Amino acid sequence: MASGTSDRLARSRKRRTLKKNLVAYSFIAPNFIGFAVFTLVPITFAFLLAFLEWDGNNPIKFVGLENFQALVKDKFFIASLKNTIIYSVGTVPLTLVTSLGLAIILNKEIKGRAFFRTLGFFPYVASLVAVTSVWTMVFHSSKGPVNAILYYLFNVPKEKLPNWFTGNLVLVMLILFSVWRFMGYYMVMFLAGLQTIPRELYEAGTIDGANAWQRFRYITLPGLKPTTFLVSVMLTINCFKIYDIAVMLAGGSTNTLSVSSMVLVYYIYQNAFNFWKLGYSSAVAMVLFVLVLTVTLIQFRGQSKYANE
Amino acid sequence: MKRKVLVLLLCLSLAVTMLAGCSSQPGSVTATPTTAPSDGGSQTPEDKITLKWALWDYDSTPYWGALIEEYKKVKPNVTIEYTDLGSTDYMTVLAAELSGSGSEFDVVTIKDVPGYATLVQKNTLEPLEPYIQAAGIDLSLFGGITDQVTVDGKLYELPFRSDFWVIFYNKDVFDRAGVDYPTNDMTFEEYDELARKVTDTTFGSEVYGAHYHTWRSAVQLFGILDGKHSILDSDYSFFEPYYNMVLNQMKDGVAMPYTDVSTEGLHYSAAFANGNIAMLNMGSWFIATLISSLEKGDYDPELCGNWGIVKYPHAEGVEPGSTLGTITGLSITAVSDHKQEAFEFIKWVSGPEGAAVMARTGNFPAISTEEVKSIIAGLNGFPKDEQSKEALEVSNLYLEVPYAPNVSEINAILDTYHKMIMSGEISVEEGIAAMNEEVAKLKK
Repeated sequence: MASGTSDRLARSRKRRTLKKNLVAYSFIAPNFIGFAVFTLVPITFAFLLAFLEWDGNNPIKFVGLENFQALVKDKFFIASLKNTIIYSVGTVPLTLVTSLGLAIILNKEIKGRAFFRTLGFFPYVASLVAVTSVWTMVFHSSKGPVNAILYYLFNVPKEKLPNWFTGNLVLVMLILFSVWRFMGYYMVMFLAGLQTIPRELYEAGTIDGANAWQRFRYITLPGLKPTTFLVSVMLTINCFKIYDIAVMLAGGSTNTLSVSSMVLVYYIYQNAFNFWKLGYSSAVAMVLFVLVLTVTLIQFRGQSKYANE
Repeated sequence: MKRKVLVLLLCLSLAVTMLAGCSSQPGSVTATPTTAPSDGGSQTPEDKITLKWALWDYDSTPYWGALIEEYKKVKPNVTIEYTDLGSTDYMTVLAAELSGSGSEFDVVTIKDVPGYATLVQKNTLEPLEPYIQAAGIDLSLFGGITDQVTVDGKLYELPFRSDFWVIFYNKDVFDRAGVDYPTNDMTFEEYDELARKVTDTTFGSEVYGAHYHTWRSAVQLFGILDGKHSILDSDYSFFEPYYNMVLNQMKDGVAMPYTDVSTEGLHYSAAFANGNIAMLNMGSWFIATLISSLEKGDYDPELCGNWGIVKYPHAEGVEPGSTLGTITGLSITAVSDHKQEAFEFIKWVSGPEGAAVMARTGNFPAISTEEVKSIIAGLNGFPKDEQSKEALEVSNLYLEVPYAPNVSEINAILDTYHKMIMSGEISVEEGIAAMNEEVAKLKK
């Protein structure tokens, strides 16, 4: 009798948990199914594709490591890898510093603070097509105001005026543009981080005689650790994914990137959908994946070490 | 209890929506019998058939609608249903559509040869030989163009539109400068000289003797007009004199610098419509654009209303009238259920009747007859001088891009280095050396 009751109790408890789980799963399901169909399966398939040769219609051929061997000899791949790395190395620290600086300034009680915050955020919300057009006009080689200033105020001869969207300068332009565009967004994240630092710490610091730099170094920076970590990870991933900015700024009217501005995602796209070398382009995508993964892991390790300090 | 029902309903609805996603095949397709090419179109007129046709920019291109309307009169039982895939990345989208077996298209329009090569490589198109033989079509009507897109003895498209490059010029600009108009028989030296003569580099009121659009065809392909070279060669040193000519023109202010045209995204039509360009090398499709834009008032007739065309310049010792061409063709998909009907349609479009429709809308059909030329020369808005009419005579037409298996990759390589040469990132020699090297790698 007693055992029967407990049995029934256990069963009903089990049923209740099952029901609870079912309810939970049914809520997760729409999102998860979408994720599985449109992201998980394609990503898994992309891993496989890197070792295959396929054009989307003809039978798939297994080629082993051939795709990766070909990568090493591919001038365009090496150029795009190099450009992507230079771009990221340039953009990440610069954006971190500028957005943090902006956040600290705009965290102070200054007049028109809300206005300046909006101003900082504006490049991020403005349409990419519109702002890239403005940039290409501003840095236009013969009609742009920047070159006009160089010509009239600094007496740079006409033939020596820089062509901002070609050669080595194009990466500089991409970096500057990205810093300008993203700093407002990360500024907001830093602003949120700054709100979490208790005011008392600063008061105590001031009483103990810490100067502005010391307060920044020993209170603000440690207090912002989680935010800094989040920002740097997101920023790095975003930088490695660069495509639209490069094509819009440096693609010109034919949307072609030259060797000096080619980036990995562009090369992946070109191989996949212009040449239909799906396997080869997946191999490039794997390189990008490993690159991002490595950098993120390093950041994670750095973060945990830093946090234990 | 209520909650249980709710949960059940939720799960059920999820399962149903999941399954719904899988069933993309319309049920009606399987019911229709496939017709073999040998049947020779023995469909009874009662059979109602719908052909699905892939094309681009339906609203801004008058001939699509005109072709569909006219065909309805010929074959009332066939309904043509079009899908507009947009022009920007038409061939890419089409290639994606035709991947796998899910495509519903019967007839697809082929916009360019690299895209055609991709579709042929992917085995998504139906070889047309058996149909062409059965219908007894004389391919020589196409003036040898079809040979340039034949793959291992098989032809996968029938061209219905063929454009060739000419020099558009603004008579007012020449009149103002007091310089004689260009002629139908110019060597490149004469062309260069003329462009320089009509140029005015005065700041603020510049007149450009020549204008080059950013496409590589506008510069590189001067080099293939002698009939001895093609972009499938792995030695591109024959580009060199033309790069030097154009780059020097840009340096001397005879032509707008490439970087300006490229960064501004300046369209050639906008450049010509500004009225400060004397000569523009461009495809014959621009004739229809010029006529209709001037008529609608989009372009100011004061600035560019007085235009004419002459034949492309030619190298020393080459027959005038040799020029570059592009073709637009129609293909049947390998998965189509109505191949015979689809062939009847593309045969009609690329044949004399379709050609007349094309000419009436100001476009050049692939089969070029005297009648077609007189229709175009007689269009309201076409220049009235004899020279412009004569310029429609083409002696040799070389496709901008002939067929080769890896032609899209060759194209991309040439595009990349063209951009770098033109923007001054690398010298002409370096660029050509890099083209040679990279294209040679593909051939291995």
